[in-house]
Amino acid sequence: MLLVSIETPMRDLGKGKKANVGDRIFNRTITGAAFTSLIILAGITVFLGAKAIPVLQEQGLSFLTETMWDPLGVPPEFGIAGMLYGSLLLAVIALVISVPVSLFLAVFMVFMAPPRVSKILTNLVDLMAAIPSVIIGLWAFYVLVPPAQEWQQLLNQYLGWIPLFQNESGNFTGTPFIGGVVLAIMMVPIVTSITAEVLKRTPPELVNAAESLGCSMFTMLRYVALPFGRGGIVGGVMLGLGRALGETIAVFFVLKLVFDINFYQIIESGGGSIATLIVSKFGETNGEYEVNVLLASGFFLFLMTLVVNAIANLIVARTDRLKS
Amino acid sequence: MTILMSESPPVLEKDLEPLRPWSKRPASFWLAAFLGSVVPLAILGALYLTTDLAVALLLIAFYLPLQLIGAGLAGYFAKGKHGIADSAIIVFAIGATALSAIILGSMLLTIIVRGIAAFRPSFIIQNSTYISPSTPLEYGGIGHAILGTFLIVGIATIISVPFGIATAVYVTEVRGRAVPYVRFFVQAMSGVPSVVAGLFVLTVFILTGVLNTSAMAAAIAYAILMLPTIARTAEEVLRLVPEELRTGALALGSTRARVVLNVVVPAARTGIITAILLGIARVVGETAPLLLTALKNDQTVLNPFTDPISALPTFIFDNVAQPYPDAVTRAWGAALALLIIVGVLFTITRFVSARKPRR
Repeated sequence: MLLVSIETPMRDLGKGKKANVGDRIFNRTITGAAFTSLIILAGITVFLGAKAIPVLQEQGLSFLTETMWDPLGVPPEFGIAGMLYGSLLLAVIALVISVPVSLFLAVFMVFMAPPRVSKILTNLVDLMAAIPSVIIGLWAFYVLVPPAQEWQQLLNQYLGWIPLFQNESGNFTGTPFIGGVVLAIMMVPIVTSITAEVLKRTPPELVNAAESLGCSMFTMLRYVALPFGRGGIVGGVMLGLGRALGETIAVFFVLKLVFDINFYQIIESGGGSIATLIVSKFGETNGEYEVNVLLASGFFLFLMTLVVNAIANLIVARTDRLKS
Repeated sequence: MTILMSESPPVLEKDLEPLRPWSKRPASFWLAAFLGSVVPLAILGALYLTTDLAVALLLIAFYLPLQLIGAGLAGYFAKGKHGIADSAIIVFAIGATALSAIILGSMLLTIIVRGIAAFRPSFIIQNSTYISPSTPLEYGGIGHAILGTFLIVGIATIISVPFGIATAVYVTEVRGRAVPYVRFFVQAMSGVPSVVAGLFVLTVFILTGVLNTSAMAAAIAYAILMLPTIARTAEEVLRLVPEELRTGALALGSTRARVVLNVVVPAARTGIITAILLGIARVVGETAPLLLTALKNDQTVLNPFTDPISALPTFIFDNVAQPYPDAVTRAWGAALALLIIVGVLFTITRFVSARKPRR
């Protein structure tokens, strides 16, 4: 006789002879459907990879190390180094701006604001996360860019001796800085909501103990809340980073794409973004080969975000395990 | 506590100096708090009126340092030197909050104010056949784009909901051996950039000739983006279903499949609706996949298989960069329509999830 208790995992119910036929079919169907995500991920890797391999064979490693886009040349030559580097540069700028803002916003929501204000802020942050990127791009193009140009002029005027803030052309539109600011605006709600979630889980007895020992807010954050939530916060930042790397449309509106690598002059016009490259070149491709090149670019974007997200999830999972 | 010991650097004795929070705050604190909040504002106002320096420069170079000094003094008089760091945190925290609120407010306000200029009944109902960027606002509209968005999102929902809920049921109800892997893959899938989802559909369905550039192709790309959101949210709500419901139904003699289909899933139905709505909200404004898989069309398209189709995001995208003010106003109008859809979805999810789950 098959002993069945509530602890028996459902998967084992399908095995004994007594198992109900309906249950067995149900188990199989659900198990099959649960692997959709694996199938799709594998599909993306295989299909885009299959398009990327011939391109890599033809272009060689210079596809990843050179900066050119010559679809009409004989033979056509492509190199997306500027775009790959540009995506990273944008993400770093976005990170530098959004992480402090998100941390302070989350600290305010969790430890300072009265509960009612905190609830309103949570809703506002979620609403900010829900605004589509095309709307953020539209807003940035018409509302953010004019004052941002002024800020960059000021940066150049007062801090121009730092190589980072050099600008020789006098043109402050379409700079990586503006692109980074737009990405930061999109990252803040993601990082804030995860950070706030993590900080909320700080055991209240630790916070109370710290306070009764006479810790100031700063000491409590420094020695209790932040160490406790460190893993979750880093994971949240990495998830935001993954989102920033893959963001297409908002960056499309504010960044002037140039193929040369813009290494560090973040307020000089022109930068790169691999996701934006795909969308902006897709409408004007010359023949099938250029489409394949775009697919190959997409493949490397996919790999990049996959790695960032995998690291993020590992960090989050590891700290979850430590705590439980 | 053990975790804290292992993870944090040792708390130094000087950091734990008692603060005597019960002692009365001295008059100098109140004076510093008052002056610290009024003087920087006054200086900011005076500089703004008398000089023509940029507001950003005034805020960062004059207001912020003065505010920090003012708050630092107030903190020092209240709690001694620990108060300085505390007051700096408070200033930065309020600053970050204000900055985010200003950005969100500016976004919503601009879209509403500039979008309303385009809104009129004809703008919502009509399509854009025979409309060029220079056509006055009285003619043409976004009716075709609204229908396109509903069509694409509707099909994407029909495709992704069964898979998303099945994934969640596998994790919470079937509890098979592969649960950690399935969860990992769903997490990884949630990080797939939208443009990559579009490229995937392009490669598999459009370049091979299986599908035209159409609503169906776009819906598959949207479904890929929706699936992880639905699966993860549904997983969380299924976990909230009390274990007694499962054991009770089993004790009454129902099979495991019946327990899931007739008891657990119905008990979590409001949560599952929330999951679906969150999935829709995730994709409704996605533009990049549409540019690759649906292109654009000025006419109303109702057949999801045959023709290219416009949706609200692609309509905005097409009209933003036009050198004609009326086209740009149309883009703002479409952005307002999209924002209204997102706002309605957002409000419903808040409303649904705020209700207490029924026992």
